[in-house]
Parts: sequence; C-alpha cells; structure tokens
Amino acid sequence: MPGVPRAARVYFETLAAQRCVLGVTVTNILVVDDSATIRRMVRAALQPVTDARFVEAETGLEAIERLAFAPVALILLDLNMPDMHGLEVLRFVRAHTAYREIPVLVLTTRQDEDSRAAALAAGATAYVTKPFAPAALAAEARKLLERGGVGAGR
Amino acid sequence: MPGAERETGRFSDAFLDDYFAECDEHLRAIRAASLRLDAGLDAGRLEPAAVEQIFRGCHSIKGLSGMVELGEAETLAHELESYLRTLHEGAHGITRPGVDVLVDAVMELERVIVARRDRAAIPDVSAIVARVRAIAAGGAAPHVPTAAAALPAAAGRRWQAVYVPTPAMLERGVNVNSIRERLQALGTIESAVPEVAEGGRLAFTFVVALSDAEPASAEWEPDGVTWTRLANVPPARAEAPEAPAPPAAARFVRVDLARLDDLMRIIGDLVVSRARLADSLERMERHVPAAEWRAAQEHRTALDRHVRDLRQGVMRVRLIPVGDVFDRMVFVVRDLAREYGKTVRLELHGKATEIDKLLIERMMDAVLHLVRNAVAHGLESPEVRQRAGKSREGTITLRASTVGDTALIDVEDDGQGIDAAAVAARARAAGVEVPDGALDADTLLELICAPGLSTRERADRGSGRGVGMGAVRAAVQEVGGTLTLETDPGRGTRFALQLPLTLAITEAIIATVGDRTFAIPQAGVSEVLEIDPAAVRQLENNEIVPYRQGTLPLLRLSRVFGVPEAPRRARLHVFVTGRGAAAVGIAVDRIVGQKEIVVRTFADRFIKVHGVAGATELGDGRVVLILDVNALAHAGEMRGVR
Repeated sequence: MPGVPRAARVYFETLAAQRCVLGVTVTNILVVDDSATIRRMVRAALQPVTDARFVEAETGLEAIERLAFAPVALILLDLNMPDMHGLEVLRFVRAHTAYREIPVLVLTTRQDEDSRAAALAAGATAYVTKPFAPAALAAEARKLLERGGVGAGR
Repeated sequence: MPGAERETGRFSDAFLDDYFAECDEHLRAIRAASLRLDAGLDAGRLEPAAVEQIFRGCHSIKGLSGMVELGEAETLAHELESYLRTLHEGAHGITRPGVDVLVDAVMELERVIVARRDRAAIPDVSAIVARVRAIAAGGAAPHVPTAAAALPAAAGRRWQAVYVPTPAMLERGVNVNSIRERLQALGTIESAVPEVAEGGRLAFTFVVALSDAEPASAEWEPDGVTWTRLANVPPARAEAPEAPAPPAAARFVRVDLARLDDLMRIIGDLVVSRARLADSLERMERHVPAAEWRAAQEHRTALDRHVRDLRQGVMRVRLIPVGDVFDRMVFVVRDLAREYGKTVRLELHGKATEIDKLLIERMMDAVLHLVRNAVAHGLESPEVRQRAGKSREGTITLRASTVGDTALIDVEDDGQGIDAAAVAARARAAGVEVPDGALDADTLLELICAPGLSTRERADRGSGRGVGMGAVRAAVQEVGGTLTLETDPGRGTRFALQLPLTLAITEAIIATVGDRTFAIPQAGVSEVLEIDPAAVRQLENNEIVPYRQGTLPLLRLSRVFGVPEAPRRARLHVFVTGRGAAAVGIAVDRIVGQKEIVVRTFADRFIKVHGVAGATELGDGRVVLILDVNALAHAGEMRGVR
C-alpha cells in the first residue's frame, strides 16, 4: 500500500487482525508473487468484485509471515518463487490448523497437467494459469470467498 | 500475433510501464549472469547460480509477457526457460554453442520488448526460437555434475539463526525478507524453514554458513534473531542453493524519471531564489547594522551550501553505474567480432562510474557506434595483426570516469589507426577543401564527421539507422559535451567523449559584452586568457592572437551578436574553447563572476539561435543567454576563421 506510512499500515493490520475496523468486517486477500507487476494486476482484477483489503508478499517466507499477522480469507499463490516454492507454502498452510481452512488459488504459468495435479494434491483449492483473464480470475476468487464464508464480497 | 490486435485499450495497458521497468530489471540480471556463465565456461568453471538466475529471469519475463499479450517475448522466454531447465536438471552441461545461442536469444528478447515499448514492428523470433530448440534438443555434451550437486563447499562455520517476527518489528520495517537479505550478506543460506512453535508463535529457522568468524549477537537480538552454533555436519537434506538475492528489491524503490525532473526543476527555482536573496542582501548592506548583516550573510552561505548539497543529492539519485551499458557492449562486441571475423578482447574500466541515467541513454547509440567502428574498421583481422607483429587478438577498451562536473567515456582500440591520407583523398573527391600536408587529429575528426564522408563501406547489418560519425558528434554536442580523437597509424585509435554530469544545472562564467550579459558554461571552457589588445593581429578577414606556441583565432562576441562594443579596454578577456587546432578564443569585455546557473533550453524550435544554448535567470531577475561555445567555435570554423 504505497503512500500509507508504515506505522498506520501496521496499526490497521492489527485492527484488521481483530477483523474489525469501525465495526465493519474486513476481509484480507493475500497476493503472493515475486513480480510486483503481477501483484498489481491481480489486485486490479479482483478489486471490482470485493471490498477486501489486499496484503502482498513477494516471497514464500514473507507470505507465511503475513499470514501470522493478518487473518486471510483467500490466498492467491504463485508457484515459482525464489527462496520457497509455492507448493511448500501451500503445504505449510495445510499443515497448520490456524490456516488449514483458507482457500488457496494457485496462479501459475505452469500449464501442464502434472503441475496442476501436484498443486491439487498439495491442497490447492483452485488452479488458474497465467496469463489470466481478469474477469475469469475475479469470478474464481469470488466463488472461493463466498464458499469460504468469510466476509464475502458484494 | 497481428499488430492490429494491439491497438485497443485492454486490461494490461495500464501496466505496460510496470512491465517495461520490471523486464528491464530482469534483463539486467540476466545479462550479468550470462557474463558470469560465459567467463566461467572459458575458465572451465560451472556457474549453477548464474544458470538459476537466468532461468528465473526468463520465467518472470515469460509470465509478464503473457499478461501484456506480447506473444513473441512469451514464446522466446518460454523456449529459453525450457532449455535452461534441461541444464538445471543436469540433462547436459552448458556448451559454447549453448552459451552463444543463449546470448543471442537474450538480445533478441530485449529487442522484442524494446520494439513493443517503441511501438515499432515486433521482430520475427521464429529463427532464434528454432535455434534455441535445436540446442536444447541435441548436442548433448558429456554431463558434468554441477557444483550444486556437491555439498556446500567447506565454507566456514555453520550457524542457526532463528527469527521470530512480532508486529512491533514489522512496524520498524524488519521482516523476513530484510532478515534474509542481511543473512545473505554474512554468508550462504543453506536452508530457511518456517515453523509454528508452541503457543502459535511463528519462527523462521535459517541455517547459514558464515564466511566470518562469529555473528554479533547484540546487533541481531533487537530484531528478533537468536544465533546458535551448529556442529560441523553436512545438512540433513541438501536444499537447492539459495539463488543470489533478487536484486535486493526490498531496499529499492522505482521512481518515475518525470518526478525527479520535477524535483530538479524545483531545485532550479530554489537556486534562482537564492541568487535573488543574495542580491537583495547586497543592496541591504548599507542599511543594516554590521553585526546583523554579517549574521544574514552567514545564513546565506549556509543556505548556499544546503542548496548545493540538495542538488547533488537529487542528482545522485539520477545517477546509475555505466556498468550496465558496458555489459551490454560485451554482447555487441562478441556479435560483431563473429560477423567481421575478428578476434576481440573487450576491456572495461570504471564500470562503477555513475552518470545521469538520461545522459547514458542518450549516449548509448553514440558509444555503440564507436564500438562498432572499432571492431569493423579499427581492428585488423587476426592474420594481418600477426603479420604486423601484433597479438592476434585485438583489444577494445571502454573507460569511464568522472572529473568534477564532467563525465569521460573513452572508446579505444589497438588497431590500425585511421588512414589520414585515405580520408583526405575521399574528402577531396567529394569536393571538400582539405589543407595540404599532414592532417592533425581535429581536422581528421572534422572530416570523418562531415556529412556524406562517413566510412560507409558496407551497410552494417546491425547498425540499423545508419548512425554516422556526424550523428555521434551531434549527439555529444547536443548534451553540451565534446568529442575528441587521437589516432596513431598502426597503433590504434581513441575517441574521447567529454560529457556534463548532469543536464539541468551547471557552473558558468558570467561575462559582459557592451551592455549585454552572457553566461558561459564552464565545462566548455578550457582556459581564460587576459590579453593585450595590441597583440591582436589581423589575418585577412580574421583576428588572431598568439597562443602557446601558435596562434588562436579570435571571435568577438560583440560582432557575432551585433552588440556595440565597449570603449577600448586595456585588457581583453578571452575564453578558450576546443582543443588543439580546433581551439577558438571568444573575446568578451569583462568577466563579472562565476555562478551556478539553471539551464533552461528553448522549447520553441523557431527561436533556436545558433550559438545560444538556452537562457538563465540571474539573481537580479535579469534573463541572460547561455552561450553554446562549441557551436560558436564551429561557426568560426565554418566562416573560415582558421
């Protein structure tokens, strides 16, 4: 969130951690991708269908750190990242009770069946390939948010 | 993908600038890694980390290109990625033809992306795609186990660093990425594992092989990191080696150059206001008590210093190391050497020299052309060199350095030098007047820069727009720089570009002619002389003065601009511009002082006046013209002053 002082951001994140800012339920969507451009694109695609706040992470480790401090209703996860592969992040999420229920949408350039099967086996809720169509991604994300039952969008 | 589809507004259009900027970063990293790979191959060393980095860069470019529907880049990046994956998995080791194809493909990839940016026709990639496919499929070289397979080189001691993040630390900007970067600076990270400990606390456990003796625990503790020494056993599971830090993204922000220009403009206004303030203060001196005035003067001096620091600070933000441009030349030279059948070694000096980004970009084509000339015409073929008693391998040296407010870029080769007689003959044939006898370097430069005389023996495949030496010199002069030539038949040629470090603010000498005031940028002036008007001689239509061992043609500003001359003075002030035989003296009445000025160029082409580079505002609100000394000197030559 550029332009917002870090202190304010953390303050809101802490509030958001209680899922409540001024009595309004806040939904967080975690966007994990090592490309800042892709993260911006994902946000732009999802913005029209949700009131959610976006939390970004550029590495797998950062994604896990983010998870620990802001409850997340949906994770959009890239697979090929430096320092920790997306599948490892996914396994971590599925292995911990606190995060187990969070829907994870894997968003990757790997278009082959093996990769899809591996992601689903590791616990991915949905699998979308890049390049993605913004509307299709938004529809998929919305479905997951509603199914997840946590603060669904409009 | 047909171009027509690219016309309409699409989702991805809003992200094109991000796309180009991010691709730029990836391409830079890929180029640097390719160089390491290349050098490693020559030295018989494997560079798994470099392969990994190129692979990662191609992967990112592929994903991004798909999103912006640049199919050519996506395809090419995909093929490269597939090829690198085979290396990666050790299907076969890297080979010389492999690296060559890789380098060519990366250059083509860059061309595709640049073409998209410039809205030019996208090059056809089918040929290079086929080459990448061929190299990926066949030519299996004997597999050499990569260093990655071997366990961590007996690198130092192994330590475990456990990082426990808290909201308070996140607030301070400490997060797992910054910790990882700091660890990477200390040694090699062997593994990084997140764990949820008792009580639901998250912890990251890093295993690090330190190059130094011991981590300073006290420095790490406040940031939630605790260290434990590990017994020196190999890690339980061999993790893939950590990829070299993705250019430390977290510590950098990307800034639109337009914003920096805005800042520069504001600082320019500040410089003008400061000069006005100084002027008002001068006039106030008589009316305020001495002590008060002195205090005000001190503040003014402090302000001067701060403004200067501020300007330099912002300027530094715009500076980037020339290393990037130089690295690009490595590929160009390799390509050209192959094309012309030369053996070339490229030496790079001063890669860390920092120059204004905009300036580098504007000079890129000029430097490229000089390098191209050096390979194509400067260096001899290996056989000829051998016969001449030289090494078979020619050397091209690129050198960058900064001196005060100027940046110097040299392009030097140890080839055959420029054949002055041949150039003179060609010039005469084209109807250009050429002085008899031996040509000095400056006249020679003049001739090779003359339109129509560029050595265009053959249409160079890569040269594209046909930038001649004339265009090179024009580009240098456009930014207020100078181009000089030194050539030694049989020994080599050196082109030196002398450029201003920054484009907007510069030191200038303020001088008057009659009742007019002019500003002369200091970078263009090599010397200021004070001469006795009696020493001026008349030679045909021109005036000359004795200078060093020879004479110096004199150009009176009063005559150039038709300003009435001040009554005869005891001394004449002369600026010397240009070097050697191209030197010209510019005579003014009086030198008033020296000032930091803000250069405002004329936006309107209709008021472009030869010899005037722009205008600036002095502290007293007067607008004065900034002289373009190079153009003036040139005008003098054209009128046959010499």
